[in-house]
Amino acid sequence: MHFLDFVLRNLLRRRVRTALTIVGVSVAIAAVVALLSITNGYELTSKSVYASHGIDMVVVKAGVADRSSSTLDEDLGKRLQELSGISKVSATLRDSVSFEGTSGPVPLNGWPLDSFNFDALNILPPGRDLEPTDKQAVLLGKTLAGNLDKKVGDEVEIEGKNFKVIGIYESGNIIEDRKAIMSLRDLQSLMDRISQVSQFEITLRKDLPDRTATIAVLRQEIENLKDEDGTKVGLAAQASDDFVKSDNQIRLAHAMAWITSAIALIVGSIGMLNTMIVSVLERTQEIGILRAIGWRKMRIMRMILVESFTLSFTGAVLGILLAFVMIQVLARFPAAQGAVHGGITMRVIVMAYLLSILVGLVGGGYPALRGANLPPTEALRYE
Amino acid sequence: MNNHSHLLHPSHNGAPVILQVDRVSRTYADGSVTALNDVSLEIRRGEYVAIMGPSGSGKSTLLNLLGTLDRPTTGELYFEGHPLSQLRDLDAFRSRKIGFVFQSFYLLPTLTAVENVQIPMFETGATPAQRVKRAYELLEMVSMGHRATHLPAQLSVGERQRVAIARALANDPPLLLADEPTGNLDSRSGNDVLSLFDELHTQRGKTLIVITHSQEVADHAERIIWIRDGGIVHSRAEALKQREAV
Repeated sequence: MHFLDFVLRNLLRRRVRTALTIVGVSVAIAAVVALLSITNGYELTSKSVYASHGIDMVVVKAGVADRSSSTLDEDLGKRLQELSGISKVSATLRDSVSFEGTSGPVPLNGWPLDSFNFDALNILPPGRDLEPTDKQAVLLGKTLAGNLDKKVGDEVEIEGKNFKVIGIYESGNIIEDRKAIMSLRDLQSLMDRISQVSQFEITLRKDLPDRTATIAVLRQEIENLKDEDGTKVGLAAQASDDFVKSDNQIRLAHAMAWITSAIALIVGSIGMLNTMIVSVLERTQEIGILRAIGWRKMRIMRMILVESFTLSFTGAVLGILLAFVMIQVLARFPAAQGAVHGGITMRVIVMAYLLSILVGLVGGGYPALRGANLPPTEALRYE
Repeated sequence: MNNHSHLLHPSHNGAPVILQVDRVSRTYADGSVTALNDVSLEIRRGEYVAIMGPSGSGKSTLLNLLGTLDRPTTGELYFEGHPLSQLRDLDAFRSRKIGFVFQSFYLLPTLTAVENVQIPMFETGATPAQRVKRAYELLEMVSMGHRATHLPAQLSVGERQRVAIARALANDPPLLLADEPTGNLDSRSGNDVLSLFDELHTQRGKTLIVITHSQEVADHAERIIWIRDGGIVHSRAEALKQREAV
């Protein structure tokens, strides 16, 4: 008989309690894995929007907490274009609108018609690109068009005005495919934001020897740009990955995910602690016997810790599976469509196992110490 | 072979002392309860000793001290001349030197007979294969080889006690401590256990210390130590008087 065999049999002796404890841990681990995967997935997808457009840097107004409220003069684009190392500059006016028939706000972007941003969109037949002659025209992402049940040629109502669906595009990016896009002019007049944009996107020249260094230099230059009267324009420039990472929504999502995970883990650990304390108390006599027949304190500790690690590790395996199922189900939810990304990364799995070790240690540490320090005579009352 | 006294049996006169108790006292509950008071005794290698006394006399306290499950408040115990208070790892000492047999057997209910016997061997560094082999040998020795894969609940009480004796012998300790080993057994299984003890004593040279209420059990021992009110009863007259009381 192996030591592990012995420990396993202790756990199997109290099947219901063992199962419930494992379920408790697995729900906690599943919450962690699912939440971290969803927020990581959201961040990755956001980054890939910029990557697929070839955007290296993003410029917004300095000091704005919410980026959708960033407002810049669109003429600044020309000054950015003059800086060395820059290949192309495009502008975006960001807003969000509610459509009839959708639950939440839908992101709506306005792009100049010559923007390189259009290159990343694959317009599905029978639709076409926006053209300068189009008035009140809109492109819909494939997912959004599906949610709205709109085809090319249909009309959609935006802010009380009717817009014609000129094309439906597919970008392969779930965030992008939930957007609507119109010409910058149309969006500016729709929102009464004439000659305003939210941000500029920059692509760097392909032949640069050190892109990171160029980005650092450009960042300085852009943030120090001055008006004609010599005051700073007040711009914030970042590499696009950093821009996504520092987005308030993404930071908030990460924080919420971690807070919820921490609560789930604390609850899971307390459940485990409770199980292990009761199980050690119940076995006071048995532990006394083991001590009497020569087991050292260390072995008693090991026995209890291996029991709690077995519970938490099994909980982690089940929790990861549960999270996988949860994410698949959530991704199929119409309301969450596009927001939930189906993958669990290796990093999150490793983190889940590390956290399960922590849960095992928290849940088993004190009971192990307590069990090991039970005086053998307590258990063995003669007469 | 029995002389029913606290005196040493003549056949062990030259044997070395295995366990010496030197002026040991044990008090409980902040010193107000004295369970054992200034007890001294010697047990020689190969002796078979019974400890008798009424309930509450202090004999279980003495057994706990002899078995190193507890430490004395004052005084010292010596095992083969070494003071036990100097030992850093009493658990390791206990697993190699002392085998316990309990009144209620205390087998682990989820383990089969052969697995129960292996429990003390976990501390010896034996491989799983060595543990299994030795456990089977020990079960054969106590005539339980045919029941090796049975759980305690599937065994009779007499069989359980024999498995427990095999477990006590797992690490081949020189000293066996038994607490009312026949207390829960019918007379036939009780006799089986006592003949097993006789065999361990005469053929394998084990030192046996048995705590008992039963004169029949004590009759198997070479020497009886009487305990009363936390002390050893020394005079033969006192002992006889106590025997009548028991």
